[in-house]
Amino acid sequence: MAEALIRVKNVRKVYRMGDERVIALDNISLEIHKGEIVCFLGTSGSGKSTFLNMVAGLEKPTRGEVWIGNIPIHKLNEEQVTLFRQKNIGFIFQAYHLMPMLTAIENVSLPLIFRSVDKKKRNKMAEEALAAVGLKGYENRKPTQMSGGQQQRVGIARALVGTPKIIFADEPTGNLDTHTTKEVMELIISQVRAHKQTLIMVTHDRSIANYADKVVTIQDGNIINVEVKGNED
Amino acid sequence: MNFRDLTDLCFRNLMRRRTRTLLAIIGVVVGTCAIVVMLSIGFGLTKSFEKQMEGYGDLHMIELYSYNGGGYAGEEQQGVLNDTTLESIGEIKGVTAVTPVISQYMQLWAEDDGMTGVEIMGVDPEIFEKFGYEVAEGRMLKKGDKDVLLFGSEIPNWFYDPNGDYMSIDVDVMGTDFILTADWNYGIEDAETSDDDIDYGLYEMQAIGVLEPKNDSPDYRVYMNIDRLSEIQKENLEAEGGRDTSVQNGVKTYNQALVYVDDIENTERISKELKDAGYQSYSPIDWIERMKSTMAMIQGVLGGIGGISLLVAALGITNTMVMSIYERTKEIGVMKVIGANLRDIRRMFLIEAGMIGFLGGFVGVVFSLIISLLMNTVLKDLLGIFLSELGGYGSTVSFIPLWLIFAAIGFATLIGVVAGYSPAKRAMNLSALESLRNE
Repeated sequence: MAEALIRVKNVRKVYRMGDERVIALDNISLEIHKGEIVCFLGTSGSGKSTFLNMVAGLEKPTRGEVWIGNIPIHKLNEEQVTLFRQKNIGFIFQAYHLMPMLTAIENVSLPLIFRSVDKKKRNKMAEEALAAVGLKGYENRKPTQMSGGQQQRVGIARALVGTPKIIFADEPTGNLDTHTTKEVMELIISQVRAHKQTLIMVTHDRSIANYADKVVTIQDGNIINVEVKGNED
Repeated sequence: MNFRDLTDLCFRNLMRRRTRTLLAIIGVVVGTCAIVVMLSIGFGLTKSFEKQMEGYGDLHMIELYSYNGGGYAGEEQQGVLNDTTLESIGEIKGVTAVTPVISQYMQLWAEDDGMTGVEIMGVDPEIFEKFGYEVAEGRMLKKGDKDVLLFGSEIPNWFYDPNGDYMSIDVDVMGTDFILTADWNYGIEDAETSDDDIDYGLYEMQAIGVLEPKNDSPDYRVYMNIDRLSEIQKENLEAEGGRDTSVQNGVKTYNQALVYVDDIENTERISKELKDAGYQSYSPIDWIERMKSTMAMIQGVLGGIGGISLLVAALGITNTMVMSIYERTKEIGVMKVIGANLRDIRRMFLIEAGMIGFLGGFVGVVFSLIISLLMNTVLKDLLGIFLSELGGYGSTVSFIPLWLIFAAIGFATLIGVVAGYSPAKRAMNLSALESLRNE
């Protein structure tokens, strides 16, 4: 098997809260391959979100290493990590986090705007991304004019636009009803598969875990179980 | 992130919080208006003052008066005007010409038409030519001229009939015969006379020219050859039985002299040098310098008042931006996560603050122009009363030079950016995670 895309080695993260030290991640090592769909399962406070942030470069580990390809994420400064994220990582949030003053197409274009892609090109890319999540015709709607499911689709389109190598999803269906959850999850999975992207999800919802190739259960800052499903390639 | 996208995004953010943005902008509008209108009043004053100054005589000219302090015989007196001291004044760098002047207030009759009381100035014709005077008609004084008069531009209109209705008479001086005398009773029909009356001489005079107007005291004087006038003075003195005091220790002294300076840039310096040397000197430039420093002070005070309003506006902008950051913490976090550069975040807030400043400045300038127009038209009479106290009586109450328009907008924008700097930095340093956790 080829070398893993994401390599996490002995990562530890300790927060200081006043005088108290909170160990969010104790000692975690993990490898994730290109095209894998990995789900981190855990209760609130288990450290799963911290792990996600660490891999995305949003937080620095107290100890240990995080490599994506041959890039040492743990060593980059904020500026470099931002540039890396711009090109390689897409984010899906639980609360969608769309910009309220921007239309759907502008929201989807935002990562491209930050990358200084010219308007014509990025509008085309954003239109395609919106069409891919089934929102053709919704381009000029503001977030307030859309349902939660539609907003999350816009969020997904925003994460997918420009086809980054890795997609992070933090409780992507946390604010959605069961029916919409299913739709949204299927959409995410199909898109990720179609573009051979790597997806890292974090959730406390077991039903979501069923969509993953690999389910990693985290508890108290440690990996307690790794379950590999049959559909991994 | 390119600049156009950045400004576009900023503009939308501003439009999103319309009321608050509008209030912040109004703050800047008021500040800009205050500063521009205040300064415009200052410029208006300066402008009307400059207009006055233009019409205020010859800035090349310094008038010198000797110190008439009672000096002791033999003592070297300072500030005495005589041929020797005048020569040394003539050697001061920048002095083109210097002439002694004697003057006598006398009565001038234009044939039988009317008379006027007038200051007759005796000048050296050769040097007087160098003083930049020009004749409107006739010619200048020449060496050897005797009983001829060169009129200041206003004098021909100043004659009146003392035996009639005192109405002023315009006299065509060229070709008219004049009688010049120190006798104030001459020609007055019902003058009271007594045996003690001094028997002044009557001098027949001809006009040789009228000077171009200078809008200064020269317009109200009549010039003649200094040699001839000193003879007349002497005869008048003899008639009065007085003693000629103009000769001290055997040296002829003068009460007055005129100095002509090559360049008005030098006038102030030379005027000061002469004052230091003990002469009493007077030049319109003295007054102008004093006015200039008064103007600078007035403008400083007015600008300062405006400046305070703009400072308050700057606090308004800072407040708006700080509030906006608190409100948008989450958004900032999201933008950071999905790839916004730190620099972009900072620029975004700086530009927003700058836009408030710019819009406020722009609208402020428009309002200022309207206010300025009103002040120069509708409110002019009212303001004139107040402003005349400050020394402005011109037609322009408020004047906004073109550069001020651009400077005001630029300054307001700058104030915006400066006010936005600290909030922008704070936004940049916000932790993406902290902001997202804020749910």
